[in-house]
Amino acid sequence: MPKAIGLVTCNYTTASNDDVFLGRPVASMPYLGRYRLVDFALSNMVDAGIRTVGMIMPNNYRSLVDHVGSGKDWDLDRKNGGLFIMPGTAFGTSRTGARFLIRDLVQNRAFFTKNSEKYVVLSTANFICSVDINALIAKHEETGANITVLTKTAKCDGNVDVVTFDVEDGRVKGMHQAVKFGQVAFLDYAVIERTLLLELLDSFAAVDHLDLFEALNAEYGRFRVMAAEFDGYMKPIFDKNSYFQANMDLLDPEVLTELTDARPIKTKAHDNPPAKYEPGCKVSNSLIASGDRIFGTVQSSVLGRNVIVEPGASVRNSIIMQGVVIKSGAKIENAIIDKANVVPAGTELRGTDGDILYLKKN
Amino acid sequence: MLLAGGQGSRLGVLTSKVAKPAVSFGGKYRIIDFVLSNCANSGISTVGVLTQYRPYLLHEYLGTGEAWNLDERGGGVAILPPFATQTGASWYAGTADAITQNLGYLEGQDPEYVLILSGDQLYRMDYEDMLATHKANNADLTVAVMPVPWEDAPRFGIMNTREDGSIEEFVEKPAEPKSNLASMGIYIFTADVLFKALKEDAEKEGSTHDFGGDIIPTLLAEGKRLFTYQFKAYWRDVGTVASFHEANMELLGAEPAFDLFAQEAPIMSNSSTRPPAFVGPKGSVDDSLIDNGCTILGSVEHSVISSDVYVGKGAVVKDAILFPGARVEEGAVVINAIMAERSVVAAGATFGSADEETVTLGDDAVVEKGE
Repeated sequence: MPKAIGLVTCNYTTASNDDVFLGRPVASMPYLGRYRLVDFALSNMVDAGIRTVGMIMPNNYRSLVDHVGSGKDWDLDRKNGGLFIMPGTAFGTSRTGARFLIRDLVQNRAFFTKNSEKYVVLSTANFICSVDINALIAKHEETGANITVLTKTAKCDGNVDVVTFDVEDGRVKGMHQAVKFGQVAFLDYAVIERTLLLELLDSFAAVDHLDLFEALNAEYGRFRVMAAEFDGYMKPIFDKNSYFQANMDLLDPEVLTELTDARPIKTKAHDNPPAKYEPGCKVSNSLIASGDRIFGTVQSSVLGRNVIVEPGASVRNSIIMQGVVIKSGAKIENAIIDKANVVPAGTELRGTDGDILYLKKN
Repeated sequence: MLLAGGQGSRLGVLTSKVAKPAVSFGGKYRIIDFVLSNCANSGISTVGVLTQYRPYLLHEYLGTGEAWNLDERGGGVAILPPFATQTGASWYAGTADAITQNLGYLEGQDPEYVLILSGDQLYRMDYEDMLATHKANNADLTVAVMPVPWEDAPRFGIMNTREDGSIEEFVEKPAEPKSNLASMGIYIFTADVLFKALKEDAEKEGSTHDFGGDIIPTLLAEGKRLFTYQFKAYWRDVGTVASFHEANMELLGAEPAFDLFAQEAPIMSNSSTRPPAFVGPKGSVDDSLIDNGCTILGSVEHSVISSDVYVGKGAVVKDAILFPGARVEEGAVVINAIMAERSVVAAGATFGSADEETVTLGDDAVVEKGE
């Protein structure tokens, strides 16, 4: 029997005003042509043998529920355990900052009391990474920590949304928002004993408007919270540029292999035909999802499912989401074209390297 | 009732490890997907799949039938391999015998009509329409037929029909055909007629227990109401390496003979979730189908590429069909060839040529340089 249950919080948004995130939770952002961001958290948990996963939902949960369904595509349609869709408190997706809001956890206390597994693995949905959660649990047991958090030392100044821990000899002494070069960033994965989590929820009931790790700020002396450094590819998605870069990073086959082969990233299955490359098309340095039909030119881009690039159209250094039609002669460069757009014939849509053009969902 | 036990021996190494209906097709499918999708798209929710030859992959692939929306309570997919009874056990000795041995399953379903299908044909058909014809004719048996070129007629089971579409005579591979309507091996029986015919045939000495050879002639002789249902769209029985290669190539081009992208009646498959295909900076792809999970660093032209295929730098793949997991290493050349699952053409090696017949490489086989 698996020794942990999982909890993925999907009901928070970012401090960024980038319109890429408008109208949908970060968890259901399409990624790499066929995934949604929540696939990583779910797949990492399932790969570790976890078969009971709760998802705390935002108020605009339609796309997320449509995606996860009964959890079947992640083997989470279990007779015992499985996928639990749980309500968040009334903050919707407007809430930034706190990602393990105590109020959300308290509201769903039954999820933690009704299951008897020893540990709870906490996660959010906006870090792209392939994590060996069993190794994280093993490390947790080895160090005898109360809580073990997955971290990465920042190689550059990072996003204001990323949580940073002050760490001494592997032990967390404090937390704050935003990450700078050399600081220890929290990857939003944590292991905690289920009974301890329940105790914390009781004792923090008076400050339930805080994030769990924020509430712990005064208690890091009392509780041993240990940091486990992650050494693989990871990317936090909190703004348009990081979202764009996280797609483009995968044009490196080594990163692609690391992210998708060690641990299969499961996602909702679709019945698309294979991508069809028509006579005379030109495709290079790109990721092409099934169901695409390419007549024109595609360079250094990521194409989602069922995209049509008509004859004479060109796509360069761009992300094209599912169902987009690029009509003949249209030119797209340095852009993110959201779902189901039809780019009219002859149109030119160009952003720059530093300022990616975004065409919102149709 | 879907007959999926055949070996497909003329496909050579392609069926050395899997049954013909489980052979990879069209970059993302297995041959049986087409018939199962037809069932689902025609509103048929109970399908018995008769398996016999090398069934593991087929059984695993079928699973509960959920990939084709066939996982319904009280129906869905039932996998029916040969089994033992108190009086012994025997293999399926013919198409009719396979059904006879599963009369218990069939009678348990208590159907009004039974549709008999082959698991190794490629076509889109609305069986609902064929059933409507069957009912309108008040028929005992309706046989789907399609016109074939007259010169090919001697290779088929030919139906000689009257004006109203009823069957006058059935001739297996006639030297001098009187009609060019070939049986497609797709039958709709009124259930009680089928059950009675199968039980009588089972007792008959000298019967080969075959629908074409025994059941149809007997029913004709008995004066039963046998009708044809004419089908005029794309239909292929990919019996040989050449026809298998050709059928795959017919998916390509600006106006393919069979359009996988047709919106109505989508072909469903039990596919794995893999990342999109990566075409490298120096890779090139022209006039091809490429499924998810592939890495294309070389050149691919006029080919059908299944999931998780690797084509290395400088490698050339042309007029080829690559099954899931096949690898064409750096600088290798694969032309006019079929590479089965996980097979490898090593770096610098050559496999196939445009001037000769299509060559095949079996599952897990390796071609080294200089071989």
